Amino acid sequence: MACMNEEGQWIVLMGLLVAVGIFFLALIINQSALVGQTTAEGVLEFPKNDIRDLREAIFDYVDRFGNANNPSSQAVRQDIIAISLERKNAVVDFDVESPQNISGRLLYPVTIHYNNGVTKYDERVYY
Amino acid sequence: MVNDRGQLYTMEGVAAGVIMLLTAYIVVSTTSVYTAGDTHIPDMQLEQLGSDVLAMMDTPDTNGAESQLVGFVRNGTGIGRGGDLRDAFLNTCRMRAGDPDNSLHAQVFLSYRRADGSVNTTELSSPSDPGFTGRENAVRVTRWVQLPTTRPAGMPTDMPNDRPKAVLVEVLLWRA
Repeated sequence: MACMNEEGQWIVLMGLLVAVGIFFLALIINQSALVGQTTAEGVLEFPKNDIRDLREAIFDYVDRFGNANNPSSQAVRQDIIAISLERKNAVVDFDVESPQNISGRLLYPVTIHYNNGVTKYDERVYY
Repeated sequence: MVNDRGQLYTMEGVAAGVIMLLTAYIVVSTTSVYTAGDTHIPDMQLEQLGSDVLAMMDTPDTNGAESQLVGFVRNGTGIGRGGDLRDAFLNTCRMRAGDPDNSLHAQVFLSYRRADGSVNTTELSSPSDPGFTGRENAVRVTRWVQLPTTRPAGMPTDMPNDRPKAVLVEVLLWRA
């Protein structure tokens, strides 16, 4: 190519620039397959449904036992704590206190703690 | 000393350099095959679908009534007593327009605490696809269920029979 004819070098140079540009566009298209991976992994990692389900299980517990402290309620509480640790890799604890008068209704103050090493959740709710 | 002769030699050199870099990049990148399954996007969608279906099945028709999920765990029939639960779960997952999604499969497990404090997990149903290879991207969705004092018939005999219980229904969900 060199020495044959040195006319039109700008045209050749522009061709080279366009080729490099197309290469970078192809790289971007290639990377687009990865878009959403971090998002999806973040959603998988965040135990939204686990925490919601744990709250419902604890509210079912309060429905049945209130703030009673007897062998049955202790057993169900230990079930939730032990199975959470064994199957969900989550350290869980909860306490139900004696009912308080909240806006004319008697509600149990419930304290919930949840920690699976990645996500920590603490709540105090009147149920 | 500086003139503008021989510019094409320079450009040829630059072009050759770019081509060599490209070749090296392509050779290195062919050693790893990155597929859409590695991005966990379908896993995330499958886990959300399964959680939603379990939440729906755990919602009673009327306030204070027994939910469908608790009913299946207490009075389950079918293979391993959880066959009905598995089939109802899969039918609900497929309840949408278009593709019947017959590639969706599930198996139901149940975790409970024994009298000695250890946690046991038992199969409540067989897998709906016994021919799974172990390469499927499976997700696990769970739901708490509270059972009464009396142990439901057919449950493992080391499940406590003298106290109320909280047990964990676990559904393994995958496409094949």
